[in-house]
Amino acid sequence: MSEAGSMQPAERRLSLLVTVLAFALPVLFVLVPLAIFLGYSFFSVDQGTIVYGLSLGNYVRFFTDPIFLPVFWNTIVLCVSVAIICILLAYPAAYFLTTLKGRWRYALLMLLLVPLLMSYVIKIYAIRSILGLNGFLNKALVAVGILQQPSTLFVFNMNAILLTLTLLLIPFAILPIFLSLERIPQVLLRASDDLGASGLQTFLRITLPLSLPGVASAASFVFVLAIGDFLTPQMVGGISGFTFGRILYSQFGTAYNWPFGAALSVALAVVVIAAILVGERFGRNRGTSI
Amino acid sequence: MSALPRLSTILLAAITTLVAVLLYSPLFVPIVSSFFTISHGDVDWSSPTVSTYVALVQNHDILAALRTTLIVGACTVVLSVVSGTLLALYYHGRRSGRSVLQFIIFLPFLMPPIISGLALLIFFREIHLERSLLTVIIGHTVFVLAIVYRTVLTRLQSMSRTLVEASYDLGATGWQTFWRIILPNLSSAMVGGAILAFALSFDETMITILVTGTQSTLPVRLWAMMRLGFSPDINALVALILMFTVLLCVLAARFLIPRQVATERT
Amino acid sequence: MNQNADLLTLRSVSKSYGTVPVLHDIDLSIKDGEFLTVLGPSGSGKTTVLRLIGGLEPLTSGEIRLDGQDISRMPINKRPFNTVFQDYALFPHLTVSGNVGYGLSVRHIQRKEIVRRVAEALELVQLGRFADRFPAQLSGGQRQRVALARALICQPRLILLDEPLAALDLELRRQMQEFLKSIQREIKTTFLFVTHDQEEAIGMADRICVMEAGHIRQLGTPHDLYYKPNCEFVARFFGENNLVAGKLGPAHGELRSIETALGRLICSISSQPHLKAAPDGASAYAAFRPEALHLVDGKDADNRFSGTIADLAFAGSSTVATIAAGIGNAAQRLRLRVPSRVDGSALKSGETVSLSFAPHEGHLVLA
Repeated sequence: MSEAGSMQPAERRLSLLVTVLAFALPVLFVLVPLAIFLGYSFFSVDQGTIVYGLSLGNYVRFFTDPIFLPVFWNTIVLCVSVAIICILLAYPAAYFLTTLKGRWRYALLMLLLVPLLMSYVIKIYAIRSILGLNGFLNKALVAVGILQQPSTLFVFNMNAILLTLTLLLIPFAILPIFLSLERIPQVLLRASDDLGASGLQTFLRITLPLSLPGVASAASFVFVLAIGDFLTPQMVGGISGFTFGRILYSQFGTAYNWPFGAALSVALAVVVIAAILVGERFGRNRGTSI
Repeated sequence: MSALPRLSTILLAAITTLVAVLLYSPLFVPIVSSFFTISHGDVDWSSPTVSTYVALVQNHDILAALRTTLIVGACTVVLSVVSGTLLALYYHGRRSGRSVLQFIIFLPFLMPPIISGLALLIFFREIHLERSLLTVIIGHTVFVLAIVYRTVLTRLQSMSRTLVEASYDLGATGWQTFWRIILPNLSSAMVGGAILAFALSFDETMITILVTGTQSTLPVRLWAMMRLGFSPDINALVALILMFTVLLCVLAARFLIPRQVATERT
Repeated sequence: MNQNADLLTLRSVSKSYGTVPVLHDIDLSIKDGEFLTVLGPSGSGKTTVLRLIGGLEPLTSGEIRLDGQDISRMPINKRPFNTVFQDYALFPHLTVSGNVGYGLSVRHIQRKEIVRRVAEALELVQLGRFADRFPAQLSGGQRQRVALARALICQPRLILLDEPLAALDLELRRQMQEFLKSIQREIKTTFLFVTHDQEEAIGMADRICVMEAGHIRQLGTPHDLYYKPNCEFVARFFGENNLVAGKLGPAHGELRSIETALGRLICSISSQPHLKAAPDGASAYAAFRPEALHLVDGKDADNRFSGTIADLAFAGSSTVATIAAGIGNAAQRLRLRVPSRVDGSALKSGETVSLSFAPHEGHLVLA
């Protein structure tokens, strides 16, 4: 560009300033806080004050205490289930979108994505009222005759967390799957038809494999968002719906053990990073562009 | 063709409809309740009312939270657009160190908000920064920075390098090239990024809960109120926010489509 | 216009990207008012030459002089040159007049003056009606002309054109060639035109500079390059040619013989002293154009040899025959171009023919 010896001294000073800023901003407000946070996980608490001495105590407690690991695994299972349900619902919807033409395709896509931008707290509140004892879900099930009387099966337990997270996160699954389906060149499908494959064969042997990267990113998105959520479980989970996020959050509230909370966060971060890497690994599109 | 493909289309359409219903039912409930009274899960369709909207105007608590949210949103937009654009300009076309710092910028967006929020909480405590609107604004900016950065960088990368060369070639200085060529070509991406940043900040709950002081934003206020149950005027607020969000969405779509494409269609 | 004065001189200019050299010791003089074309295959360094002159890239070594003054370190925005970019680089957010007036407006020239000169420039490129359009609303040819108007409005000493016609289709390209040439005659500004298309080069240039692998192979008029190539690369690259390898024999005045698989051939060496000076027995090629070759009956013609017609290809006004001549390892494929005839060519595939070319139409290049 302008490196042709054309920089004025003033511009050079400015460029130095910009360089410092460019490094300072992410380092100061992202890297340093995360580093301190990581450091905290090696500290401990004694009678309400933080002891700045390094120890592995928090990690030992996490792995040996009978409370934390089971909740940890249950939460992972819960979030994997949320991801699977989201994909089972989102894939057919995304596929249907790609069968539409022109503006309809994008209008409908917009329609399915807009709820993403709607107030998160309000949505949880509304879902809770739908799932509740006097909610629409119970009314509908009783009216259809599936239930004899309203049930508390859907609120203040793990089921409620599962259903609420699924409802909240479906759009995050639709978008990547839609994008990967849309990227598949139509000629490939025509070529498959031309070679004598049936519609189902074309779908199973061409479309599905080529859209798997999108499914992988969708799964990793949904999983990461679900496992990091501590508000939804708190609001719809009741006493029995106890997730890792809630335990983590409580360390900074009622339990007041920041170092242990930091150690739990590190465990969470490890799972999240693993999920992102897996999504990245399988989310890379292999030869979908020709 | 056989009946099979048609059947599968119907099935797909049915599932899509189901998904749409699932996504919209939580929105539908508060909007209906903003105009009608609901008791024990039954909607009283007979008497529509706007009383909830009247009540909203008088709810100073909520209005104050809304004002705080707007202030935080505006500050977040300004800070994230300025720094996101500068970072994009800086890293554009630069190899060394870019991927590492880019990764750092994306961390708060990739990490669960609880981790970003707690890290900032501890950080603020260590530097003795009292929790306040400032800490909320910093938290939001760090969170949305990646989006603005990405949006602007994508536009920069789609901008032909020869535009800048042509400007210098025609005698422009570095400043002239920046103000008259680069910035105008980035402006629509910056506006689009700003709208996205505002939308994210407007609804950000988890980081905010962790770093907020006494003045809380709307989502945090709503969250606190939820334990007691909402008063009907909240529903009116939700209906208004929904309309506002849809408007924002349309605007964002309008600005994120590059001018080149838009004019080529006419 | 003083055709003899040098406007711009490149002296042993080299350029490397990192450790990869792209230009080796280039010497080049551009005369004031001429239309100079830099011709070469992709990767030959031709665009780099243009970018170095324009100031878009710094030199690795050597110097560039304008009117005898060293401008090697002069920043791009101070150089009195303007570029027409390959992708035109029109500013998408500015109208046609905004684009054309940009160079004046960044120099803080008065608005009235800018309006007047923009109108003039647009008139020159016949785009007066399009002043208020945006680049996206123009066709490829129109964009091209806007880019030209934008470059010449600042009255640069030199206009640099980087393959500006590459994106246009054939018909439009022909029109633009004539258009560019006529504009250049009208405004009498020096043009440096980079292309990989030799037809384009022949059609427009006063002089052509042929580049290959970071070296200038030959600089001269299109006629010189066509009839007096000074190396194998130019002989092969520039137009269709037949090259036959051999060893140089003795020189006789303006002629010199070469012993080849087709026998002894006599070729012209007029005004090419390096060919006169080359020792006997040196490896060289006899080069003769397909249209210089003709069928002969008599036995005593110069440069006579026989061959078999392997293939005939009708190419409109002419027909090209591929001839297999010589035997065994020394077998040669030669091309013969004869005017086409309505009742079919007189030539037949598989036929054995006698061929010859006049000594003054044959040339020598050292291997």
